[in-house]
Amino acid sequence: MNVTLKVFRYNPDVDKKWHYDTFNIEAQPTDRVLDLLEYVKGYLDGTLTFRRSCAHGVCGSDAMRINGKNSLACKTLVRDLGEKITVDPILGLPVKKDLIVDMEPFFDNYKKVLPWFINDSPLPADGKERLQSPEQRERFDDSTKCILCACCTTSCPSFWASDDYLGPAALVAAHRFIFDSRDEAAAERIEIIAETHGLARCHTAFNCTMACPRDIQVTKAIGELKMLTITGKLE
Amino acid sequence: MKSRNLPLNKRGFNFEMIMWIFTRLSALAMYTLLLIGFIGALLMGAREQMNFADVMRWAFMPNPSHVINTNIPDIAPWTALFWQLVASALLLVATAHGVHGLVVIADDYIVTSNGRKIVRLISMLMMASTSLIGLYILWTF
Repeated sequence: MNVTLKVFRYNPDVDKKWHYDTFNIEAQPTDRVLDLLEYVKGYLDGTLTFRRSCAHGVCGSDAMRINGKNSLACKTLVRDLGEKITVDPILGLPVKKDLIVDMEPFFDNYKKVLPWFINDSPLPADGKERLQSPEQRERFDDSTKCILCACCTTSCPSFWASDDYLGPAALVAAHRFIFDSRDEAAAERIEIIAETHGLARCHTAFNCTMACPRDIQVTKAIGELKMLTITGKLE
Repeated sequence: MKSRNLPLNKRGFNFEMIMWIFTRLSALAMYTLLLIGFIGALLMGAREQMNFADVMRWAFMPNPSHVINTNIPDIAPWTALFWQLVASALLLVATAHGVHGLVVIADDYIVTSNGRKIVRLISMLMMASTSLIGLYILWTF
């Protein structure tokens, strides 16, 4: 099938304003958008710039707006998009070049929620592991799937409006540790995320859940954090 | 195993979250008060003597002046203290709900801390003045 691929272009060294470049490419329906971009870069225009790493939906590098919807280029098939495909950088973060955005504000927010395991208690008597039942693990299983691609945060209207807002990805990271029975810093984290730019800024738009390429129930996780502030129940 | 519950002072239950809950509950309260006004109007004979627009007008603000131009022959039950209280409750809840909604949206678009404080102050003044004017109308006319 012949695909018309429209790609957002911006080179800060040359362009005063962004523009689109259009490429006509012969593609298979089972090709991924990433394959098309690789083809353009390899054979048509070597200056096209985008992030990619594993190319199999695990690293989260190639998040972009494909036909208006945030997704990973390596997980989006041409057959699901049709013959006209438009690719833009994800919204709400400064564009550095073409499809590459500055991820620093996103990771700054991520770091604010202390996204690491905190437990200062002595090890159990056997000195080996802090055991956890399957049910306790299940409690935060969904939020462990996050690959920090930023599809959710950059689809969130509250984040577009103000990048002070922690954003769904940071809240999911907080959820992952707060509900982990082995972690001991739930109170510290909930205090951080309940600040002015945290939980209360979520307007339940559900864009994050729709955008997540890992099918994480992001809005549900944020809802559980909101309930936690009311009930205090970590189980 | 340690308790996995967070005490009230350590679960982030702050002003932001209280207002978040308030906005949800006040929406439910508005629906309840609207239904009270709507059902009350029907019980007082609105079905025979009012058109639907007048019934809805009453439901949104149960003020006796809203029935003066209708075909209601006896206005007495419509002027009861109960309806003044329902109207006042609806006014206060709706104003607070709406103004808090505005504050939430403003918080998204104003990036400075002082800017937010100023908008919050203006919003609170707006809420207080609107509520007072509304109450004045409900209790004096």
